[in-house]
Amino acid sequence: MKCLVTGAAGFVGSHLVERLLREGHEVIGIDCFVPYYPRWIKESNLQRFPSQPQFRFIEANLLDVDLTALLSQGIEAIFHQAAQAGVRASWGKEFADYTTLNILATQHLLEAAKSLPLRKFVYASSSSVYGDVTTLPMREDALPRPLSPYGVSKLAAEHLCYLYWKNYGVPTIALRYFTVYGPRQRPDMAFHHFLRLLLEDRPIPVYGDGQQTRDFTFVDDIVEANFLALQTPAVGEAFNIGGGTTVTLLEAIDVCQEVSGKRAELDMRPVEKGDVRQTLADVGRARQHLGYAPKVGLREGLAAEWCWVYDLYGRQGGHQQA
Amino acid sequence: MPIDKELLAILACPKCKGDIRLAKDGNGLVCEACQLLYEVRDNIPVMLIDEAKKVDDPARV
Repeated sequence: MKCLVTGAAGFVGSHLVERLLREGHEVIGIDCFVPYYPRWIKESNLQRFPSQPQFRFIEANLLDVDLTALLSQGIEAIFHQAAQAGVRASWGKEFADYTTLNILATQHLLEAAKSLPLRKFVYASSSSVYGDVTTLPMREDALPRPLSPYGVSKLAAEHLCYLYWKNYGVPTIALRYFTVYGPRQRPDMAFHHFLRLLLEDRPIPVYGDGQQTRDFTFVDDIVEANFLALQTPAVGEAFNIGGGTTVTLLEAIDVCQEVSGKRAELDMRPVEKGDVRQTLADVGRARQHLGYAPKVGLREGLAAEWCWVYDLYGRQGGHQQA
Repeated sequence: MPIDKELLAILACPKCKGDIRLAKDGNGLVCEACQLLYEVRDNIPVMLIDEAKKVDDPARV
C-alpha cells in the first residue's frame, strides 16, 4: 500500500513511517520542519530509517505543495500527523500559526483527497478538544469545550474531517491522542523535559500542585491505533486513544526518577493557562470499533524514553540546546 | 543518489505551483518562471520558498 504521512519527521509521524516501512508499505513523507523545536532533533528522527526506494521525503509546507498531483500517485491512505503543536504557546498572535498549520492545511489536504479512492484518511486529533469535562473518563460523546487555542484548532480540523466525509465521502477517522510519550517525544513535552533535567541534575518545574492527572499513552500504542483505523469499517467518527491508566504528575515524576536512577529537586510554580486538570480516556469505543487495547505501561514506556533521551543528549555531547 | 523521476513528477514550485525541473548539476530543482532554485539536501527536496535561492539566469542552472 502506498501512504502519505504528514509530519513524517516528527514524534508520532516518524514512528508511523518506521512501522509502515517495516511492514512493506511504500511511504511518501512530508514535513516542513516548523521551528517549534530544534531541527536537529527531527533530523535525528529521520535518520532512524535508512534511505530506501520505498520511502520518499519532501521538506515542504502542505499549503504550498500541489497536493492533487501528490495524492494522484496512487496514495491509498493518508496519516495526517502534521500540526503546530503546543498548548501553552497557542495564545496571542501565535494563534495565526495554529489556524494556518492545523486548520487550513487540513482543509487543503481534505480538498485534494475528495476525488480519490482512499482507503482511509486518519487525522491525528487530541484530548485537548475536551477541555475540563465534568465527568471522567472522557467519552467521545461529551461536549468538546477546549481550554486552549490549540485545542480549538484541533477540534476545528476534526470537524472539517467530518464535513468532508459527510459531503464528499472522504473516509476520515479522527484519533484523539491522550498525552503521547516515548522515544522521540518533543522536547517541550513533560517527560522529555523531566528526563533531560534528571540527566543534567537540574530541578524539575511543576506547574500547579502536581496533583493534576493525565492519561499517558505510549507511542507504539498510538501507531497501532493508526493501523487499526486503517482496517476498521468505521468512518466519519472520532475515537479516544489513551493509555488506559491515570496518574498524577507527581507520581509520573517518581517513575521518571526510578527509571533514570536519579533524583531531582521539585520547583513548584503557578498553574499555566490552558492546562486542563484531568484527562482520562474512555477507550471503550476504540476497543469496540477498532479492536484497540493499549499494551505498554508507564514504567516500561518511560524506561524506553529514558534510554532514548540518554542516547540523544549523550551522543550530542550534551551541548545541543533544545 | 539523484532525485527520482517519480518524485520530480509530483513536485511543483511552492510559489507559483508551476513546473520545476532538475538543475543541470542534479543538486536542485529549478522554477524558471519564479527564477528560484530549490536545493536537494541529503536526497531531500527542500520545497520551501524562504529557503530557495534566487537565480538570475535560470536557463543556465
